[in-house]
Amino acid sequence: MKIAAVAACTSGIAHTYIAKEKLIRAAESMGHTIHVETQGTIGTEDELTTEQIREADIILLAIDIAITGTDRFEGKKIVKVPTNIAVKAPKQLMTKIESELKKG
Amino acid sequence: MLKKLELKKHALTAISYMLPLVVASGLLIAIGNLTGGGVIEDYSAPYTWSDALTSLGVMGMGLLPPFIAGYVSFSIADRPGLAPGFLMGCIAKEIGAGFLGGMLGGYLVGYFILWLKHIIRVPKWAEGLVPMMIIPLISSLVCGLLMFFVIGVPIVWLTNWLTEFLMGMQGASRFVFGAIMGAMASSDFGGPINKVASLFADGLLLEGIQQPEAIKVCASMVPPFGVSFCWLLSKIFHKPKFSQAEEDNIAVAFPMGLCMITEGVIPIAMNDIIRVVVSCCTGAAVAGGLLMTWNVGSPVPSGGVFIIPAMTNPLLFTAALLIGSAITGVVLFILKKKPSEAETEEVEEEMDLSDIHID
Repeated sequence: MKIAAVAACTSGIAHTYIAKEKLIRAAESMGHTIHVETQGTIGTEDELTTEQIREADIILLAIDIAITGTDRFEGKKIVKVPTNIAVKAPKQLMTKIESELKKG
Repeated sequence: MLKKLELKKHALTAISYMLPLVVASGLLIAIGNLTGGGVIEDYSAPYTWSDALTSLGVMGMGLLPPFIAGYVSFSIADRPGLAPGFLMGCIAKEIGAGFLGGMLGGYLVGYFILWLKHIIRVPKWAEGLVPMMIIPLISSLVCGLLMFFVIGVPIVWLTNWLTEFLMGMQGASRFVFGAIMGAMASSDFGGPINKVASLFADGLLLEGIQQPEAIKVCASMVPPFGVSFCWLLSKIFHKPKFSQAEEDNIAVAFPMGLCMITEGVIPIAMNDIIRVVVSCCTGAAVAGGLLMTWNVGSPVPSGGVFIIPAMTNPLLFTAALLIGSAITGVVLFILKKKPSEAETEEVEEEMDLSDIHID
């Protein structure tokens, strides 16, 4: 599946980027395509393009705080988790999303 | 219902925006104080650059309640929440309701605006007036009056009570309070529990209670120092405790620790979460208890080893920091086993994901 993701944690200097790395590694090892935008204290980096959002089967938000730009995801399927799930169990998360997508 | 409100997320969002303010203000106060500056009372009289730095830092700390209220409200109600939220924070600051009042004001006005957005129906020509005038005016007016006359009173009372209670604590209860603060501040390496302890300490600093800040500063440095000390022990006794990747991490975590950035320990904790957390909390709890017992305060909310000279008692602070780090190091040395190289990669904890749904 194609995933567009946003990661954002409270301090915005550590968990955000660990979550990004873990999500990318898990997704790629399982054969998914993923793009991860980070909204850290430094600001937004690797901003998702309209293309990436349009093509995505699912929007994955790994966030502990309110993020900006949620209006971009209107009408998309969205799944929201705290960053620690993305950090601790990214592969289980991918599997879960896949099965949920098949159900709905 | 409570889960739907996402109270925690809104608080964390506010803290997230507040952190750079606290760090910058704290360091400004520290630099100002250490170079002999004081708060400027009269701007028509001459003042030094040290006075200017201290004053700027104090102004920054004064922005805390507006920041908390503004960004809690922003997290709840998006853009329309910002302006009324900042106003609620100003009220909280002026009436002495501090960060508690700011937080409450933020929630109040945030949800009020959500409700307003939901019920307001206007003719087409007036649609532009809703975000520009109607929402900001009505929400500020209604929630502002509530803050002044209703909610503010018990909050001020609560803040005063808490202040007196903490000032009046003696003996064993002081140690226990310090230990709890210390353990909380170090338990999740800069995560939400740490931020709660941190917010609590920042709030008390606004009331003039400095000890919790000292504990926070110390407990944020104990994990990186403790882990580094454990590494030193493993070298001295030739007992390997860390994988190569972990040793590389420690080389980064230690200098980060000097600056009070505790997050450097996360990669090491991830491999062995329970043992690392237990040893870090033990060391930080002892350090926190000692600081509280010795009555060491910090007028500055962050800055790591560079602000130790600004502490009310730099020597005892250093002692507590070293004792706490030594305990963490020794406990970790006893508990920890060297991970096999394969083990560190890609081992996932079983997690309950049944709550996850696609919207």
